[in-house]
Amino acid sequence: MGGSISKMMAKIFGSKEMRLLMLGLDAAGKTTILYKLKLDTDVTTIPTVGFNVETVTYKNTKFNVWDVGGQDKIRPLWRHYFSGTQGLIFVIDSSDPGRIDEAKNELARIIQDREMKDALLLVFANKQDVNGALSPRAVSDALQLDTVARNHTWKVEPSCATTGEGIFEGLAWLSQNVKVGDTSGK
Amino acid sequence: MEAASVRYAARDRPSFPNQPAETQLQRFIQNACSPENFEPNLALSLEIADVINAKKGGAPREAAVAIVGYINHRNVNVSLLALSLLDICVKNCGYPFHLQISTKDFLNELVRRFPERPPIRTTRVQNRILELVEEWRQTICETSKYKEDLGFIRDMHRLLSYKGYVFPQVRREDAAVLNPSDNLKSADEMEQEERAAQSAKLQELIRRGTPRDLQEANKLMKIMAGYDQRNKTDYRAKAAQEVSEVQQKAKLLEEMLQGYKPGDEIQEGDVFEELANALASAHPKIQKMCEEESDDTEAVAKLLEINDSIHRTIERYKLIKKGDIDGAKAIPVGTLGITGAGVRKGPDNELSLIDFGGPEDDLGSSTVAAPSAGQDLMSGGQSTPASNGKGHALEDDLLGLTMGDGSIGQEGGVSLGTADIMAQFSQSSRPVAASNSIFSGSTPLSHPPIQAPSQQSNFDMLGSFSAPGTADQRGVSKPATPIPSALQHQQQQAAKRSSADPFAALATPPRQGSPFQFQQSTKPAASHLSPGSLDLLGGLGPSSNNGTATPGASTAAHAPAPDEEWTFSSSVPDDPSDLTVTNSTIRTVFSVRRENDAQLILHSRISNTTSQPINDLTFQLAVTKGYTLSLEPQSARSLAPNQINGISQTIRLQGVERGAGTKVKLRWRASYSVGGGQPKHEQGEIVGLGVA
Repeated sequence: MGGSISKMMAKIFGSKEMRLLMLGLDAAGKTTILYKLKLDTDVTTIPTVGFNVETVTYKNTKFNVWDVGGQDKIRPLWRHYFSGTQGLIFVIDSSDPGRIDEAKNELARIIQDREMKDALLLVFANKQDVNGALSPRAVSDALQLDTVARNHTWKVEPSCATTGEGIFEGLAWLSQNVKVGDTSGK
Repeated sequence: MEAASVRYAARDRPSFPNQPAETQLQRFIQNACSPENFEPNLALSLEIADVINAKKGGAPREAAVAIVGYINHRNVNVSLLALSLLDICVKNCGYPFHLQISTKDFLNELVRRFPERPPIRTTRVQNRILELVEEWRQTICETSKYKEDLGFIRDMHRLLSYKGYVFPQVRREDAAVLNPSDNLKSADEMEQEERAAQSAKLQELIRRGTPRDLQEANKLMKIMAGYDQRNKTDYRAKAAQEVSEVQQKAKLLEEMLQGYKPGDEIQEGDVFEELANALASAHPKIQKMCEEESDDTEAVAKLLEINDSIHRTIERYKLIKKGDIDGAKAIPVGTLGITGAGVRKGPDNELSLIDFGGPEDDLGSSTVAAPSAGQDLMSGGQSTPASNGKGHALEDDLLGLTMGDGSIGQEGGVSLGTADIMAQFSQSSRPVAASNSIFSGSTPLSHPPIQAPSQQSNFDMLGSFSAPGTADQRGVSKPATPIPSALQHQQQQAAKRSSADPFAALATPPRQGSPFQFQQSTKPAASHLSPGSLDLLGGLGPSSNNGTATPGASTAAHAPAPDEEWTFSSSVPDDPSDLTVTNSTIRTVFSVRRENDAQLILHSRISNTTSQPINDLTFQLAVTKGYTLSLEPQSARSLAPNQINGISQTIRLQGVERGAGTKVKLRWRASYSVGGGQPKHEQGEIVGLGVA
């Protein structure tokens, strides 16, 4: 019963809980983003084999962020994380236009899964600090978000994981757009 | 328990459709549990089980939660319907559902209506729940492969007993379906099953989300993604073991049938029938395994052989059951591993010998097709103790020489496939193989020539059929020496043979000779063969080896190949044939197919058998004069660790007329580096491509 009281309190004071799933191709910067959010430092990461999960509180919203490795061997396991996800953060390496097509296919597969039908979609056009990085506009065109994610609320946010630029803006957008009342990930 | 009863008091489920069902699955469950049903709707229940199985993911949990909700419904009928649905789901949805019913929250919810102290008379619903828990404890908690994940069921059982609840007797046969079936499973099926289980477990761990679960989930992901190979199951080895179990059954039944005397009754449901049923159900599975293992010739050959022997045993069983004992005796005897038993004494001995030399021996030699000592699929669970012994190497050696038949001829260049020499071989070896007790004293050569005709016909087929094996017979360390000595060996072997059963030899022949042996064995070939092959040898010889092909440098030297028995060539005349070319660090399999009257197509597939990446792989082929090779580019030059069939290549071999496929000689050379180390070189020869 204690849970429901705190949920009620949460409703009254406007604090929310949100389950986020962060996916993307390998070396897109997912883990770096996660720890920038959590620790506000630029950590050096190794390729994630498995997943990381952290809780980040920002603007009255408690985000449970799941960062799952992006190597092709792990991708088939992504679907196990879909259940209960309210927001998908898809991270793109904007400095690598050669792999954007691969990213597009993966994103399409995720977002069209039945379990993801209510999820918000935030695309981080990451690595904006690299010269020649794709613009957010170019990323959304390349991913064909207009068609692929037409049933979803989506946004492309330019970001730079190492400096933290754009990351919290993205979270703010998620917390503003999440449907209130649909808090727990059941 | 206490908490459960408190909750029971605190909140009761609202009346029937508590909330509109959201998904199809929930709707189905609602319908199945609707009080309008007078009895469980079996069709719908099975459909629900199908939906759960098809959707996977969250479906098992969704269903379990929905069903347990109805179990706690006020209406007793709804509860009973829900319990029957639960029973069906548990029995049909496998591990993913078992995992759900063994969660704490499910079990607590299941016994929510149980009072703290057992009532004097338990209700029907309670009784049914107790029955289910008892059933699960006796079956899946004991026999499931993943029983450690189902511990809470046992805990709940213990708790209920502790509280004083008495569990009803469970009818064993009702519950038996929950036990893992002992049906034969192929490597693929086992792998799929394991994957499904892992997948369900990962989903559940992520859902629970406690730090410990998440740690475990991370570990599980590493295993599932293939990064953690330590606990990886060798499904093929397991399949081999299962096959050998079936083989044991066949052997047992065969022995029992041999001991069957007229007047004995075979009754319904006795051991005979049980064994025969088990064999009959294994039959199609073995055929399926043949398809799956199609890139492993020797495995297929062995499977076919087992299949055939099982078939004969079943036939014999059927005839004996019908009372047709003479008919049963007409079936060639000697199922796997009990060759000796197959030879009967008495007036019909002659017949038996011929029979024996026929199909039985024929089957044997198809399996020679290249087993390797360590990795051979089928060698794992072989019933023959002799197959692994050290002393057996010598015997293998002998077997290799004497029974090598066609392959030695082609390999060593002594006989070059000429029928007369081979005929001697076959003639002399045949009686030995058959006799054991009867002829063991006699010299093979002295055998009556009457048998020659029947063997001769076998023998022609042999040429084409033993071919798949020959590619891998490089390991024969003593180049085929002149025949007399071979015959000597034959005699020695005759003595030995009585102890060795045919499978012993088949179980561990080598697949890959060391380069050193290869050199040895091919030299005679060079001197006896056409200049073309001599040229080849010069080109590919030791000088081109960069010194790496020193004895034992690349692969362990195995004992030479035994080649014990004959084969049916007529069974697969023009079908594609698989040929294992290398099986060391890299495993190369050619699947050979005849394109037209003058051309063969070889599809080469190369797999990495190590857990290190392989780079800069080049595979070269050369062919004797008269044939033309055209190689399409390799699909890649590097292989990831343990990658299966990572490189493929199409090779066309022109100028091979129909019927000449078994005479083609190819030489191959492979160079690569393992884990970025020094480049390695391997080479060898393929004789005969396994198709006509």
